[in-house]
This record gives sequence, C-alpha cells and structure tokens, in this order.
Amino acid sequence: MTTPGGVNQQKTEAAAPRPLNTLYMYLTEGCNLACRHCWLGPRFDATGSHYPTLTVEAFEVAILEGKPLGLSGVKLTGGEPLMHPQFNRLLEIIRREDLKLVIETNGILCTPEIAAEIAKSTDRFVSVSIDGTDAATHEWVRGVPGCFEAARQARRNLAAVKIRPQIIFTVMRKNVAQVDAMVRMAEELGASSLKFNVVQPTARGEKLHENDETPAVGELIDLGRRVERELAPKTRLKLFFHYPHAFKALHTMASGDGCSSCGIFGILGVLASGHYALCGIGEQVSELIFGEVGKDRLATVWNENGILKSLREGLPGRLEGICGRCLMKDRCLGSCVAQNYYSARNLWAPYWFCEQAEAAGLFPASRLKPGSARPERISTGNEAASK
Amino acid sequence: MNPTDKPIASPLVVLREEFDDWAVLFNPDTADAVGTNPVGVAVWKLMDGKTRLADIVSKVKNSFEDVPDSVPQEIEAFVNSLSENGFVGLELPGK
Repeated sequence: MTTPGGVNQQKTEAAAPRPLNTLYMYLTEGCNLACRHCWLGPRFDATGSHYPTLTVEAFEVAILEGKPLGLSGVKLTGGEPLMHPQFNRLLEIIRREDLKLVIETNGILCTPEIAAEIAKSTDRFVSVSIDGTDAATHEWVRGVPGCFEAARQARRNLAAVKIRPQIIFTVMRKNVAQVDAMVRMAEELGASSLKFNVVQPTARGEKLHENDETPAVGELIDLGRRVERELAPKTRLKLFFHYPHAFKALHTMASGDGCSSCGIFGILGVLASGHYALCGIGEQVSELIFGEVGKDRLATVWNENGILKSLREGLPGRLEGICGRCLMKDRCLGSCVAQNYYSARNLWAPYWFCEQAEAAGLFPASRLKPGSARPERISTGNEAASK
Repeated sequence: MNPTDKPIASPLVVLREEFDDWAVLFNPDTADAVGTNPVGVAVWKLMDGKTRLADIVSKVKNSFEDVPDSVPQEIEAFVNSLSENGFVGLELPGK
C-alpha cells in the first residue's frame, strides 16, 4: 500500500522575481543536421564554421551575472552545442562555477575525448536525440547520411565514461510505428531514460504539421497513454511522454514526471548572437529578445523586463481558452509560453495540443473545472482526422 | 487533528476519479485542485463527519495490503493538509 498523498498544485507567488535557476545557452546559430521537426530552424552548417557562435566572454558574463540571481545550472543546446569551437572552455567555466550541466546534443561530435570532458562535471545530464530504430528512418528525420551510427556511437562514448544519457525520440508519422522497438533499443543502448517528444508547430515543425507528417492529437493521446500504462511498467527505463499535464496519469506526475511544464519562472535563454531571450524562441520572434549580454545587466533583464514581469503576474490566472479552464494550469502554466506566443502572438493563448484535443472532444473531463466544458459540438464525422 | 476528531469532506469539493483509481479533488471556492492516490480517495470517502479519524485509519488498514506502521501519521498529515487548504472541516462540538 502507498500512503495517502498525491499531486499538489504548485501555487506560486508569481509576481515577484524568482531565482534564475537555469540559463539555456543556444551556443550555435548553425547545426550539422537539418532536422525536419526542429522548432528553432538553425541554418545547416556541416562543418560548424559558417555561422555565429556564442562568445566565451558572453557565456562567462551571463553566468557570472546570473549567479547572484540564483543561477544553479546551465543547459547547453543549439543548433548543436558540440559544434562550439571552444566547447571544452565552456565546460571548464561551468565546473569552475560549480553549476549543474545539461547538454542536448545530436551526438555527431561526441568523441571519446568530448565525452571525457563532459564527465568531469559531477552534476550532469545529457540527452541524445535518436528518431528511429534504423538508419533510414533516423536519417530521413535528421537529413544527413551517417548520423544514425554517429548517434549510437555517441551513446557508446558516453557509456565509456559512465554517462547514461536520456534518449529523445520525436514522434512523427514516419516513425510512430517504431515506438515499442525504440524502448528496446534504448534499453540495449544503456540509456537512463527515454523521452517521447511531440513535434511543436514552430519553425520547421510547423511545416511538418502543415504537411500532415505528424500524428493527429487523438493518436498522440492514445500513444501517450499506451506508453504510460503499457510500456512503462514493462521496462526498467524511465519513460516520459511529452504531452500536457491534462493528459498525464496522476500517478506519473506524482512519481516525478515534470515534463511539459513551462519553466518560464526560472529560466532565461542566451542566444548565439549574445542576446537574452525568453528562450530559444527569440531566434524566431524578435519581440521575445530582452537585451544583450554585456550591454544590459542580467539582473535588470531578469527583474525588470516587461514581458517577464507580465508573465509572473499573469500566469496561470490569465491563461485563456482551454488552458484557463484546466485544473492542471498551476502545474502546466500553458505547457509552453513560447509556442503559444509563436502561434497567436498572445502570451496568454492556450496550448495548441489542448485546443485541438478539446475541439475533437478528447480533452479529459476530469481535468476541467466543473461546469466549464464547452457546449457539445456537432459531429462532422471528421473527428478522427482532426489535428 | 486528533484521533477522536470526525473530519468531514467539504460538500463543495468535487471528487473526480480517474482510470487508475487516482482522483482529482477540486475546490470551486478557491479553484484549487489536488491529485490524490487510491488511499487518499478511500480516506476522502470515509470523511463523513461521523467517523473518527482513528476509525478511518482502521478501515483503511483493513482495506489495503502491506500497510506500513506509519499509516496513522500519514493519514493524519494528509487530512491536515486538506484541512489547511479548505477541503476538509470538522464536525462542530456538541453535534
């Protein structure tokens, strides 16, 4: 028996500035892969020498100004973070400042030497993206021949220094039939966990949605539930399905599945151009750029920026539509403010997934405020295809 | 909360049971929602204002397997937490 307990809402005193927990460092404007679903859309750069990268000076200034604000970790992402020409120097700074290290990589450049450098950080988390159980599928998604074996080799190089990465698999029509096999492959590769991502309709991901190359929301909900209820109990891996809290089983949330919450109260992005931004969305939406490293004090940006202050005051209470009526909104915060703003140019816009689920009659009634369900819609006979 | 207290679930609070026997408790007065596991659901259903907390503990012990020794304290903490958040009250003295 488990003793009584569960999942409390995370009520927050949102208006005051919070600790800046993590800086998301988008180290490169280019990427050595050309993934069909990328929500940032970096320019393809096979050699890593054509497009700007975050300077070491800006990286260090942002960290040093972040520590008095509570900074405890950095996430290195891109583009592709391992393309940064002074990657090892960045790792040295992170170690010197005793920060938690998170790396999101496609693995192509994760040599034994780089893996050993990463392993010098004692508090680290690495994720490697693999989007198919075979080269043809993964490379269809990622756009570059040979990248499948490189990603698998990255996993082996990390294992050699006792790093068990999370594998991230983004679900598309092309690979959705490989979900079960992917669990087995992740087990064989010695991953610590496997996370299934949903394609976000931003940048290249938006094209994927328009071209009907992503599963319909109903299919994704079914898949998420199957992952939680059928696949997760059968594997030693931690499995995460990245759909909104409204669809997650309560017991998965209670056991620590915090995926799909917007981290906006504790994170800030640093773009390769040296600008502060809400997160990587600043690459796509210029009004979500908040200042420049070195020219603008991070404390001023974090404490005074109008959009950040507005979000602290308004989330989750001002969320609109289905998100405003959802019982999970205190935990979820609209799932992804950046995505919502990209789609509607409105900070309080509801999350696309939940909107589509509600329109299709698939939003869980138990997660809605009583009496707030939309009037039953007239069936068109096309619900199964609704996305 | 004492073992002799008779907690009563707020009649305003909505219990939403889900597929895995977990449930959401929603307080429309405050718009607060709490997710709870099957033991919490059992406790919730026993809080009728007539049953002493000690009896609720006994009934829960008889309804579940592998009950840990700490269950009285755990249930008391759970009920206290719900009480602090306006989900649970106590029967008025003398009633």
